[in-house]
Amino acid sequence: MPTVTINDRAVEVAAGTNLIEAGQKVGVQIPHYCYHPRLSVVGQCRMCLVEIEVGGKKMPKLQTACSTQVERDGMVVRTGTPEVAEAVKGMMEFLLINHPLDCPICDQAGECGLQDYSFKHGMAFSRFQFEDKRTYPGRERIPLGANVLLNMNRCIQCTRCVRFTEEIAKTGELGFFNRGARTEIGTFPGKPLDNPLATCVVDVCPVGALTSTRFRFAERVFYLDKKPSLCTGCDIGCNITIEHRKGDIKRYKPRYNPEVNDYWMCDYGRSTHERYKAVPRLLTPRIKGGDGASAAVSWKEALDLAYRRLRGLGEEGPVAFLGSGFLTCEEAFLFAQLADRVGTPHRAVPVDLGTRWTIPNLQGGISGEEAAPNRRGTELAGLAASSAATGTDALGAAEMLTGDGAAGCAVLVVCDSDFGRAAWDPETVARLRRAGFLLVFGWADSPLAQAADLALPLAHHAEKDGTFVNVEWRLQRFLAAYPAPGQMRSGVEVLTDLLGRFDSAWSRLDTAAVFDRLAAAVPAFAGLSWRHLPATGVELAVSQTSQAPPTPPGGGHPLTAEQISG
Amino acid sequence: MAAFEPVLTRNVFRPEVLTFAGYRQRGGYEGLAKALKMEPDAVIDEVKKSGLRGRGGAGFPAGLKWSFIPKGKDKPKYLVCNADESEPGTFKDRLLMERDPHQLIEGCAICCWAVQASTCYVYIRGEYVKSAEILERAIREAYEQGVLGDSVLGSGFKLDMWIHRGAGAYICGEETGMLESLEGKRGQPRVKPPFPAVVGAFGAPTVINNVETLANVPHILVRGADWYRSIGTDEKNTGPKLYAISGHVERPGTYEYPIGVTFREMLEGAGGMYKGGTLKAFIPGGASAPILPADKIDIKMDFDTVAKAGSMLGSAAVIVMDDTTCLVRAVARLAKFFNHESCGQCTPCREGTNWMELLLKRIEHGEGRAGDPQLLLSISGNVGGNSLCALGDAAIGPVRSLVQTFRPEVDRHLAERGCPFPERRFFA
Repeated sequence: MPTVTINDRAVEVAAGTNLIEAGQKVGVQIPHYCYHPRLSVVGQCRMCLVEIEVGGKKMPKLQTACSTQVERDGMVVRTGTPEVAEAVKGMMEFLLINHPLDCPICDQAGECGLQDYSFKHGMAFSRFQFEDKRTYPGRERIPLGANVLLNMNRCIQCTRCVRFTEEIAKTGELGFFNRGARTEIGTFPGKPLDNPLATCVVDVCPVGALTSTRFRFAERVFYLDKKPSLCTGCDIGCNITIEHRKGDIKRYKPRYNPEVNDYWMCDYGRSTHERYKAVPRLLTPRIKGGDGASAAVSWKEALDLAYRRLRGLGEEGPVAFLGSGFLTCEEAFLFAQLADRVGTPHRAVPVDLGTRWTIPNLQGGISGEEAAPNRRGTELAGLAASSAATGTDALGAAEMLTGDGAAGCAVLVVCDSDFGRAAWDPETVARLRRAGFLLVFGWADSPLAQAADLALPLAHHAEKDGTFVNVEWRLQRFLAAYPAPGQMRSGVEVLTDLLGRFDSAWSRLDTAAVFDRLAAAVPAFAGLSWRHLPATGVELAVSQTSQAPPTPPGGGHPLTAEQISG
Repeated sequence: MAAFEPVLTRNVFRPEVLTFAGYRQRGGYEGLAKALKMEPDAVIDEVKKSGLRGRGGAGFPAGLKWSFIPKGKDKPKYLVCNADESEPGTFKDRLLMERDPHQLIEGCAICCWAVQASTCYVYIRGEYVKSAEILERAIREAYEQGVLGDSVLGSGFKLDMWIHRGAGAYICGEETGMLESLEGKRGQPRVKPPFPAVVGAFGAPTVINNVETLANVPHILVRGADWYRSIGTDEKNTGPKLYAISGHVERPGTYEYPIGVTFREMLEGAGGMYKGGTLKAFIPGGASAPILPADKIDIKMDFDTVAKAGSMLGSAAVIVMDDTTCLVRAVARLAKFFNHESCGQCTPCREGTNWMELLLKRIEHGEGRAGDPQLLLSISGNVGGNSLCALGDAAIGPVRSLVQTFRPEVDRHLAERGCPFPERRFFA
């Protein structure tokens, strides 16, 4: 591998590595706008100009780092010389003379490439003393598609968005129109930007020219707290950053993971957090009295009751567990432990099928169509029907949801009040209600939760730690973006509390400890520990091929707020 | 010098060469016949030896360019003839295409044989309707006569030739912009490397030569590299050269001289200054060349001498200006051209050409500010050398020479708060 020297620091890189990437290896940041690691190199913005010396001979002109590849030993690159500084300052000036400088009302302010590089490389005054800057009248808020808005005045013509639609989404809706100083971005007639990945163009846009209709004016980005998490829209498990302000989620942004979603995520995934605000939440533990009226109770009271019913103190009969693809592996493991203590084989994980999404990555793309992120992990952790010791005559999801399986149960434990569309379907709820005692965990106050004898409010995925197993059996970890508010508690906290009543060795465990016990108990997780999980996740050695998930009636994406209220 | 006999333009007043038979009678296609009997590499060597340099503007040695094309048959190879002649003041290739099209076809065919390309595209400026028609007719006849097609002159070498008409963008004369346009994309230059010799049209190795360059090739083959080298200033500036003379001269037009003729001789050849006026300045090589003052009148018009004088021979479009010319206005007009023709993809050219035009117009209209000349130098310095293609470098040529060489005239505009020259129309 050839060695290149950048600012007196030598680094060995693979042949063909460009200088921006090579610079990053030694901590030298070379400013750039048009360059993106996954898009073709066009050398347009001219911000990455550097001085290059080959074989002791300085090249006559400054060269763009993005389009210069290290092929053999002996290349010496300098980014800090007066010539380079002057050139970069010049490019900054050119980019800003016609830029509106409307940062106070621009959504990008705070994460804007122009702002960042101006501070570092630009000058504090303008030499462009003309009355009017170039503007594109009538092109200040053009909807390119349902989710993306264009303000042409702010565009710096880097063509990242154009190249994204051509090379990654492969839909090619965007193009460069007109010429010279009048060059603009636009869609082709009759071809709106409405591909499933459309909002990624907002992410790749280094300035505020492209904004997301979903996030526009929702929050100043510098007020956002950011936590690494996973998308729950399907079983791909796109890595995301949850960006919220004081527990109010403002947006999901894709987080780089070359093994899964690369730099991208789909528009549907970005919209999934909206349910957390729109769907009514279960606020306190709630018991239904003999007269059918519900009453809020304390957690102690609620868990005591749950313990009594699960121990069979009350009514004799089988206990069944209805899992959910939205549980973390740790929660599913704890539920399975509970089922083991109760000694029931009746467990199932119903998962809806949604649209088949595909996210491009270097391995040729990854697709998922289950409308929940963790059916595989939940089943591995012990909630699949086959996990129980005697599973031959166990109740399946179909028997519980569409048959009269629930009627024969003394206790039916629904692990997630929003496990799928069926939880909102009156007929299914009535069928499940026929169980002797209906115990429902979950964050959503769905009809199912309202029908429960005991409903326990849990944190939703943004509020809890855990792991998911995606469609390619990759185990990925995510962290709570903020603590669950009010009386809501994380599933691990509640379940260890409940399980501790059966066996004190299981009380007061945190997610990490539960994961480590899961790793010790389940062969697929053997050898893993919470602390040492790699950032890009780890592929589980699972020999079994994924079976088609049991699909409850009326499958599809989780209901939106409009569908619920309408 | 007086004994110079036209080479490239020897047929321009003989309309019979528009037909295959007429061209043949004048000794046409003998160079091609000779080349086909030689090894391709020998043809390249002969052209290298002749010292022929590209006539499009950059003056890159043609034979050397051809030798960069990788050997082997794993990929098709292409020749693209650059007939997108659109620089203000340049009208030499048009003459060659309209008056002697077979000479160009022969040059293309020889080049294709030398680099073993079996497809040649001629990218003609969209406004050159007549050139395209004449060339189209000549190509059709060449196919009929077996010069093009499955077996060029019975040699078994297959060659197809296509005309591709541009759509009116100067930037498509830039070689990689031309390739993009040829491929059906938006005409904007590509980042180099890779150079077209490695990745050119449709991803394959491609030679791109100017019309005049290729028109020289048959003569080199017929009369030999040594004859060719005997014409010109020195071993680096050889052969005959077309000069497109316009502006304040009595007889503007395209003139053929041995390369290195002095500007004074050329001016005399064109009938001297218009109405006996006084020479003030001249542009030696098209709109992108820095303007030279009148005292450079004895300059030898070859690549290296003009470059040494701080300008460039470029496309050898000589624009002569007498002392009634306002240079600020002239340069503002050129700046407007470059602003209009900038493709808009790279930052310095897109923004810099626009800014320079605004500043020059402001000076011309009497609204200039004291720091404007310095600002022009600074902006042009940031554009030059930093843009993606050569259009940025081209745009600053006249501007920098205006401020550096003709500073008093700029200062007069600033001091008098307006243009001291009489008002003319045709200026926006």
